[in-house]
Amino acid sequence: MLAVINARLETVANGVIEKGTMLVKDGKIVELGANVQVPEGAKIIDAFSRTVTPGIIEAHCHAGINEKGVGWEGRDSNESTSPITPWCNARDGINMLAADFDEFREAGITTAGVLPGSANLLGGIAVAVKTKKTTIVDEAMIAEIGMKSAFGENPKKNYGGKNKSPSTRMGNAAVMREALSKAKQYLQRKENGENPKFDKNSEALIPVIEQKIPLLIHCHRADDIVTAARICQEYDLKYVLEHVTEGHLLVDFILKHDIDSAVGPTMQYGSKVENKDRDFRTPILFARHGAKFCFTTDHGVVAGRHLRTTAGIAVSKGMCPEVAFKAITLNAARHIGLEDSVGSLEVGKDADFVVWSGDPLAFTTFADITVVEGKVVYEREVL
Amino acid sequence: MLLLKNAKIYPITGHVIENGQMLIDDNGKIKAIGTQIKTPAGANELDLAGKTVLPGLVDIHSHVGIWGDGEGPTGYDGNEKPAPVNPKISALDAANPWQRSFAGAREGGITTLQILPGSGNPIGGLAFACKTVGTIIDDMVIKNPTGLKGALGENPKKNHGQNLKHAPSTRMGTASMIKGYFEQVKRYLDKQEKAAAAGQAFYKDLQYEPGAMVLKKEIPFRVHAHRHDDIVTAVRLCEELGVNYTIEHCTDGHLIADFLAEHQVTACVGPGLSPSSKVETANFTDANPAILHRAGVKVCLMTDHPFLNCRHFIVYGAISSKYGISVNDTLKMMTLNPAEELGIADRVGSLEVGKDADFIILNGHPFSYKTAIEATYIEGKKVWELPVI
Repeated sequence: MLAVINARLETVANGVIEKGTMLVKDGKIVELGANVQVPEGAKIIDAFSRTVTPGIIEAHCHAGINEKGVGWEGRDSNESTSPITPWCNARDGINMLAADFDEFREAGITTAGVLPGSANLLGGIAVAVKTKKTTIVDEAMIAEIGMKSAFGENPKKNYGGKNKSPSTRMGNAAVMREALSKAKQYLQRKENGENPKFDKNSEALIPVIEQKIPLLIHCHRADDIVTAARICQEYDLKYVLEHVTEGHLLVDFILKHDIDSAVGPTMQYGSKVENKDRDFRTPILFARHGAKFCFTTDHGVVAGRHLRTTAGIAVSKGMCPEVAFKAITLNAARHIGLEDSVGSLEVGKDADFVVWSGDPLAFTTFADITVVEGKVVYEREVL
Repeated sequence: MLLLKNAKIYPITGHVIENGQMLIDDNGKIKAIGTQIKTPAGANELDLAGKTVLPGLVDIHSHVGIWGDGEGPTGYDGNEKPAPVNPKISALDAANPWQRSFAGAREGGITTLQILPGSGNPIGGLAFACKTVGTIIDDMVIKNPTGLKGALGENPKKNHGQNLKHAPSTRMGTASMIKGYFEQVKRYLDKQEKAAAAGQAFYKDLQYEPGAMVLKKEIPFRVHAHRHDDIVTAVRLCEELGVNYTIEHCTDGHLIADFLAEHQVTACVGPGLSPSSKVETANFTDANPAILHRAGVKVCLMTDHPFLNCRHFIVYGAISSKYGISVNDTLKMMTLNPAEELGIADRVGSLEVGKDADFIILNGHPFSYKTAIEATYIEGKKVWELPVI
């Protein structure tokens, strides 16, 4: 049993508990409140009145799969030999010893959605990992969160540049439809007992066709967002959107289709034509109109440790602090389908939490202690 | 004339002035600053109701206007290839005032920039300093040139050795090319001197003129160096040449802070908040400016825009301060220190009588996440205002 005492518990789900206590058993939160008895023999973390929040969640990143500070040898996110590589799985490219995970623990990030890159129309399975101190990815991994997909500049640049298809946005959509149609028919044949010849693309797409996992679709420009929604409707797929830079141009469309967006990396400049309009309009308008969204740094592009900084900047531009913090915790959990286990301090959820040196959104605040499933994975040395 | 009233003014050169006033004349210069200024006849008053006023920020290392922002490859004008030694090129000839990054700089409270060529070449060309508003780059210039760009480490050997299959392909090669260039410049200057002594004509060579300016200490050599050994190489090279220099980036500075203090190096540190995308930036830490400052190194912060989006320069200051630098000292690294380093502190870098009225208005503490830059002024004129979303 672990007891966090003298804590200002920002639960994210159910408000703030001043002078709260939180009990943790077997890596789960078992009790929290202002009047909780600490059982005898419990290991104590005294928060000394500091704020405790759920661990930060980076819903879209390339930690361990595009390793920081390593260069080419550490870049394993894009199997850019074919535009359709749904048979790839991020799990097979993640190095848990990468410095990215040390950075995440120091920054209070406890869950990370690690996605393949956006060079391919279908890039492979994305996974969620805890930032546990382990060498073995399977011990850190908690779920397959979706199939990475990409529209817009990247696929057409990557393949058009090699004189292959797709070389246009039309080609992007057509090659995508071809793969989805094939997979749908492949599944029908299987269900009809026709025993079709093994096709690794179609086989990998079965969970997508069956709506067991969503497509996680990279799209920046407004028309790419619309194309993504159109194709997903045609094939009756579950999907969420990644980046959504021009979302501010079509808030009504996003609301009408009930789209969940991972917005970002918002601190980055307009590195491409498709993200030239990047600023904080999209998340602020999404927040104001109640569109589902979370923030992402796309770690590797913006440093994941500054996901919290991104939320802070959003406040300076007019977002309410509670909404901004939810956008890096509970909303991020929802984006990757894990809102039942992480993202807030609630009984029954994983004991992933952070003790902060000050206001969790302040630029000058440190994560003092980071805990994943009841185990301290980082503690700041105070001189 | 414009009189700011009820402002919390950070002059940088002194204490914060509560209920402060600042009078700006019709030439865009600061005429008076204090708490008891009489409103001259006909002056406009701007009551700031306790808002914060800082000098306009000075970003000492930027590629605004020459690197593309939302334009794709058509806007990339930072590195002239294939010649690895290319002193005759000038960032001034590529800077596009209409590029959205200039507006981004104003949004970020930056009123003065040094714009440098990229780091693809051991010798990369001339840098200049300018204001961030205008339509004709020459009218925006404060000083040109402000330095000769040099680069050590990964970029030159990658650009040339790996991509173009010619020298330099190693760190040794890069250093030797820089040495070789300045040897030629010395000979060039020698010839010039002899020609002058003999009363003979001397024909200028654009390849050697920038190097000559460096050797004559008219401009500094601004050397890109991230890794600790590259920084040490830069110090060695520059001390051997006896030139003025700065270390640009200085990412591993925290590993050799005492060495840098001992050699009285000026460190231009950044791009802040980096994701360490290269091997040479693997040891990047947000604590670097604080560690260098505590060791006694003169620090200027840089965005290296686009590598840190210049819109978020002040956040870089906030994050740097949390490792133990006072608010005023941190602001100094983004205002007065760079202005002094560029030799333009008579005009910008602090709020003092006689200087340009370049300032920003914030609605709270400069480093709070609840604070926004509400307006940016250059020479007394509003050049950016926080839009209503």
